[in-house]
Amino acid sequence: MNAIRGIALSKSFQHYQVLKEVSIEVMQGECYALFGPNGAGKTTLLRIFATLHRPNSGTFEIMGMDGKRERTKVREAIFMIGHGSYLYDDLSVKENIQFAIGIRGWNPSDAEIKKALDQVGIGRFARLRSRYLSAGMKKRLSIAKALLIRPKVLFLDEGYASLDEKGVGMMNECIREFTEAGATVLMTTHNRAVTAEVAHRVGVLTRSVLTEMTVNEMVEADALF
Amino acid sequence: MHFFRLIRWIAWKDLLSEYRNRENVSSMFFFALNVILIFSFSFSLDPDTIKEIMPGIIWVAFGFTAIIGLGKSFLIEVNNDCMEYFQTLPGPKGAIYLGKFLGNFLFMLMVEIILFPLFVLFFNLSILDQALPLLLVSSVATFGLSALGTLFSALTVQIRAREVMFPILLLPLSVPIFIGAVEATRGALSGDPFSMYSHWIELLTVFDVIFVVVSFWIFEFILDY
Repeated sequence: MNAIRGIALSKSFQHYQVLKEVSIEVMQGECYALFGPNGAGKTTLLRIFATLHRPNSGTFEIMGMDGKRERTKVREAIFMIGHGSYLYDDLSVKENIQFAIGIRGWNPSDAEIKKALDQVGIGRFARLRSRYLSAGMKKRLSIAKALLIRPKVLFLDEGYASLDEKGVGMMNECIREFTEAGATVLMTTHNRAVTAEVAHRVGVLTRSVLTEMTVNEMVEADALF
Repeated sequence: MHFFRLIRWIAWKDLLSEYRNRENVSSMFFFALNVILIFSFSFSLDPDTIKEIMPGIIWVAFGFTAIIGLGKSFLIEVNNDCMEYFQTLPGPKGAIYLGKFLGNFLFMLMVEIILFPLFVLFFNLSILDQALPLLLVSSVATFGLSALGTLFSALTVQIRAREVMFPILLLPLSVPIFIGAVEATRGALSGDPFSMYSHWIELLTVFDVIFVVVSFWIFEFILDY
């Protein structure tokens, strides 16, 4: 079953056309890595699927639900780790997690929160206000949220950015955990070697043309774009 | 149930953040203190005349304090792209508005309660007997101001000229609130029977309901553009 399906998606900002009739399909339980030069429209495509942008034309489906008409249902199935940390500086790490999950209608227990924070390596900072976290720790906190929410579709916009070597390994472990549990991951990235460890399929978005390739082809290619 | 929990989470987050950083409350307090000082040194009036002009002074101080406080209420959501997180929430967006509104209302009311003793001190007022009616008038008027202020704060937070646009939008629409508040405060301060000025409170209540209902409805479109 297709978890993500975009058909002829186009998006312009002012007079600049970022996406022109881009189509993509990602299967359930698959990790799809999206490469492309800066400004190719990778983030825009992710944000369309995450219901943050509306496409100028084209349609998309998430878990078989229409992305335009069934936005609320789509939002129940997805979670996005984007460039923003979605954190409140004056709340502690634990409070930020409680809030982020609480407003989605679920109150995780202290033990569940601790387990998720420990898994991403920031358990001992649970009571620290998030204003004192580094960018990498904020990224880890976002992953902890995803671990608790367990979305059916996870969007990672430059998921490895700001993470140290251990953090990248932890991120890949989490991605594996998600896909093995049947969740779908669509990620934008620039790191071929690390992505090759988890990706099932790869797409390169250049000037609105999406070229698909296998992970091996991606690794062996001299240059992707 | 989730609707009400969402409201509670948002209000909790706002009040806790404000309690910890005290950014808004200090700027509002010192601004209001300045207004009170300027007026108290400008007029040296007899008690009867003070009672006549006092409602105007009180609501000039509260009104401009509201502009400072409410205008910034959505800044906290923009700092780490938290508005984006709200956009991707599956829950009803109106609940986010009501949560922000509730936080703003309680916060504004708390500031006003702190300021009332200063009016007593600097203008030699005796309001102990009228404390309850004054609290009622303040609550009803602040309810409407917070309803409008929360909406316009959300509307202007993403635009560059927000500090100019916010009062331009808020002040004209709050005129009925200020008129009702000044008249009802005059009645309460003068020690008139409640029935003499209750119609002003009824008028304020009508505007409160209109402002909350309309803002609740509009907010969905602001957030989910």
